[in-house]
Amino acid sequence: MTIPQEIADTIVDPKAYADGKRIDDAFSFLRKEMPLAQATPADYDPFWVVTKHADILEVERQNDLFHNGDRAATLVPREVDLKVREMMGGSPHLVRSLVQMDNPDHMAYRRITQGAFLPQNLRKLEDRIREIARGFIDRMAAKGDTCDFARDVAFLYPLHVIMEVLGVPEVDEPRMLKLTQELFGSADPELNRLGAEVKDPAVGLAAMAETVGEFITYFNEMTEDRRRKPREDLASLIANATIDGQPLDHFAAMSYYIIAATAGHDTTSNTTAGGLWAIAERPDQFKRLKADPSLIPSFLEETIRWVTPVKHFMRTATADAEVHGQKIAKGDWMMLCYPSGNRDEDVFADPFEFKIDRSPNKHVAFGYGAHVCLGQHLGRMEMRVLWEELLPRLESVELNGTPKLMQANFVCGPKSVPIRFKMH
Amino acid sequence: MKTWQCRTCGFIYFEAEGLPEEGIPAGTKWEEIPDDWICPMCGTPKVDFDMIELD
Repeated sequence: MTIPQEIADTIVDPKAYADGKRIDDAFSFLRKEMPLAQATPADYDPFWVVTKHADILEVERQNDLFHNGDRAATLVPREVDLKVREMMGGSPHLVRSLVQMDNPDHMAYRRITQGAFLPQNLRKLEDRIREIARGFIDRMAAKGDTCDFARDVAFLYPLHVIMEVLGVPEVDEPRMLKLTQELFGSADPELNRLGAEVKDPAVGLAAMAETVGEFITYFNEMTEDRRRKPREDLASLIANATIDGQPLDHFAAMSYYIIAATAGHDTTSNTTAGGLWAIAERPDQFKRLKADPSLIPSFLEETIRWVTPVKHFMRTATADAEVHGQKIAKGDWMMLCYPSGNRDEDVFADPFEFKIDRSPNKHVAFGYGAHVCLGQHLGRMEMRVLWEELLPRLESVELNGTPKLMQANFVCGPKSVPIRFKMH
Repeated sequence: MKTWQCRTCGFIYFEAEGLPEEGIPAGTKWEEIPDDWICPMCGTPKVDFDMIELD
């Protein structure tokens, strides 16, 4: 069964994600009518679209049967795929981070930083993170009674936290934010490197390659510095790590920094901005949350489900397989649609309603299985701390204009959330 | 206090709390959990959990 062309074209269209409703409608149709079927959008190689929560878990759990790295790990048009392979000596990847790796490399590389991201080791950062959160909230209060919560708080706070963890000096944070937005916002004319609508995929790819090059230049210098003088930061851990007694493959080490310096804040920023947007539109839930801070953990999980900042990852079958009764052939490409899994009517009651007390809330926003988000505990902690500090000070909040979503089909969320508020 | 932590995602099993929504009542000892049980957060098998002592 093949997905109708209009739906297939929608699920790859960055503008559909910026619209919100268009992508939700497309996934709702697929979950109901063809939950695991093949799409053949114009300009893309065919791929299976996995829309049900249970099927996403099923695929992610079997990480040896469904690989991340055999083909592109994110959706790319055929022309871009060919050009990347040309540029990268046959590899379909512009970077080689945990996201593009399979075992045994994935496990070996993940172990290098895994300990640093476990809850018991993150706990010692909480006081410092709280101090950072308070600083941003003070700055928000100093703005008076209006701000763009996305640009003024949500983009900057998680950026500052991860850069401090990584070891990037504060002075370089604007550059890191710009490069991140160029990478994840490559299809958004307001955010990409070209500052324009990308009509020619080859031009868009060249711009992305320049962004990656800029990251690599930056982290090359940092690696050398941390090898000379290791510090208590993530960069020192990566720079001085060994696998089987050998330093990390240089490209993989650079990619490690890049993923930490991009996915390490953009996802949390999107979720935080989307969370405030949600309560600004729902005064009753805002009031309830303020009155009962014990609801913060469930509110937080709901913001993660609601925004689901990572829209998809691709997998490639390493052997013939069957999922949801559908035969998948060796080499087939599969799109795991996390926003769809997180609106699955079979798992979530009233999935299109934002409920601060939703329980259970087993969303798949962090993925599942061996590739589950490495930074999930850090992300949760920094968001919890922000809400714990912000909510008691926020007397009222409402939208002060129309929020805007980013135009992207991989990692995205709100890019502008104008609000009017009262704080003490 | 002895707890058991998933090597993949960091999920921690507390015996006192159990996992009632998974059919594991509060107070269930780690040893009593079936060997084919998997981490509720990421699907890692029971064998890949480590015992850790928390304060």
